[in-house]
Amino acid sequence: MVVCRGEGTAVRIDEKLIDFFNRPLMSIIAAADEAGRPTAGRGIGFHLEDDRKTMEVIFSGWQWPRLEPSIRGGGKMAVTFVSPSDYVSFQLKGPAVMRDTEAQDLDRAERFITAATDELEALGVARPLSVPWLTARGARVARLSISEIYVQTPGPLAGMLAGADPG
Amino acid sequence: MTLRLSDLSACFEGVIPSIIATASADGMPNISYLSHVVQVDADHVALSNQFFAKTAANVRANPKVTLILVDGATGDQFLLDIGFVRSVDGGALFDRIARQLKASSAQVGMSEVMRLRSADLFRVHGIEKVLSPAEGAPATVGRAPPGLPALSEALDLIEQQPGADEIIECLLDGVRSVLGFDHALVLIRDGDRDCLITTGSIGYEPSGLGSEILGGEGLIGASALSGQTIKVSDMSRVRRFGEAISQETQAAENSTRSVTFPKMPMAMSQIAVPMVARGTVTGVLFVESEQRLAFPDDDEAALKILAGRAAGALRASEWEAANAEATPPMPQAAFAVGREIRVVHHRFDDSVFVDGIYIVKGVAGVLLRLMLEWHLSEGRSEFTNRELRLAAGSRMPELKDNLETRLLLLRRRLDEKKSALRFVRVGRGRVRLETDGVPSLEGGRE
Repeated sequence: MVVCRGEGTAVRIDEKLIDFFNRPLMSIIAAADEAGRPTAGRGIGFHLEDDRKTMEVIFSGWQWPRLEPSIRGGGKMAVTFVSPSDYVSFQLKGPAVMRDTEAQDLDRAERFITAATDELEALGVARPLSVPWLTARGARVARLSISEIYVQTPGPLAGMLAGADPG
Repeated sequence: MTLRLSDLSACFEGVIPSIIATASADGMPNISYLSHVVQVDADHVALSNQFFAKTAANVRANPKVTLILVDGATGDQFLLDIGFVRSVDGGALFDRIARQLKASSAQVGMSEVMRLRSADLFRVHGIEKVLSPAEGAPATVGRAPPGLPALSEALDLIEQQPGADEIIECLLDGVRSVLGFDHALVLIRDGDRDCLITTGSIGYEPSGLGSEILGGEGLIGASALSGQTIKVSDMSRVRRFGEAISQETQAAENSTRSVTFPKMPMAMSQIAVPMVARGTVTGVLFVESEQRLAFPDDDEAALKILAGRAAGALRASEWEAANAEATPPMPQAAFAVGREIRVVHHRFDDSVFVDGIYIVKGVAGVLLRLMLEWHLSEGRSEFTNRELRLAAGSRMPELKDNLETRLLLLRRRLDEKKSALRFVRVGRGRVRLETDGVPSLEGGRE
């Protein structure tokens, strides 16, 4: 199930996956420090650049303080996006760097959080339950150069490579 | 305050997915949701990782792992530093994880897909609470744990009851009065037919008395099979295949010779507690609630104590009824008058219909046929457990352990169907047939 194709040193997200990224989503992020210790957190927004090979991922530095130093130290990042209504999930991986937060990142975070919270509520997750998960406080932005994409939907295809940097 | 795994019990209910972050030997991170995390002891957790080969490969190359657990009641999040210890693919720990996974995956309608092949054991090195933007918001006030005096009183009442009827009533009353749950069932094991039969019911309309769970089917069957309590704490994720409740008609009951299992349409939590007497599972207490996470550990323990006491009392009552020095019933003239009550017995499944209405099958059907035969041939209306056991016991060896509950099921089904036949208990180990007419008995066309 190939949903994107390799090109140069990064993979490019194709039309099918673009549709997925237009749905209400939740996201989770991992990075590992120089010692190989992984850490995790939740994403609160993203922006796919026009080249479709780079994704900017927003998270709360206040809530997940270990993420930024790990991204800076290890230089890599993994992000999994899931559509809560049907569990369809994709994981994106690759080299990552931090950049300064801008006003438009906060707008993106607000839209993402609102869409996710509304979707969860429609699926029966009461708002007070999901409030602790998503905050834009201390928003930070990482730029991910996508080198691998995996199907992560629970089921027999989970973990299958859906696209990779051909090297 | 240092957090311990025991402080995180609401995170292990499988309500909100956990998150696992690993890294490969070259430092490439990997992150995925996790179906279930099981607390093994004060310092260890076990993870089921059915599909994610990358996660499994990473933890073997780099044992450092981070978990995010979420409290299903408050939404609070916890970051755990854990280290891989070993994989388990058999034994008691594996069985426990597999059972919990089955209950958990039932919540997302994937119990058939998510079969556990192996589980990974991790040591917990540190736990920290993730900062929450909702900090300071008023905490949700949960229900108080069940009071010990009320529980003690309910146990005493169960112990004092003379027969299976009252013991099961008392057990269900206890579920309602001690714990406040309004929907509960008692299912009694029928070893001869490898099923569990609903023999007590509160809160359901129709009651579902006489409905059956076959073998290890669903939560209830799995609980009976394993002898372990199994619960589901959030049904909202269940993919509700054909969720529309089929209110089966009497016509359907008549044609299928089976009673529809009762359902609580808006159930969010379910628990199945085995009724164990001297190491043997004799039945299951099943409770449902419209609340998420309705069965915290204290409630689970109280239900287990109530179910255990009822199982013991039922066994004792069976023994007492079997050994009661009942005076042999004297032939009595049958004075029944009035219309014919047509009773049909089908030998192939021992199902019984009264005036065209399906009543019961299996052991209870055999008992009804026997008593009616004696009534018609000897003209008497009172029967003892002892003679029933002697007459049917050779064909149904388990009857010695559950005759009382089978008679109870028969009585209740006849009452529920407002049948023209009734059986009334007239003393320990003795019942009397009452009729509103003249019964006839015939064999069904098979």
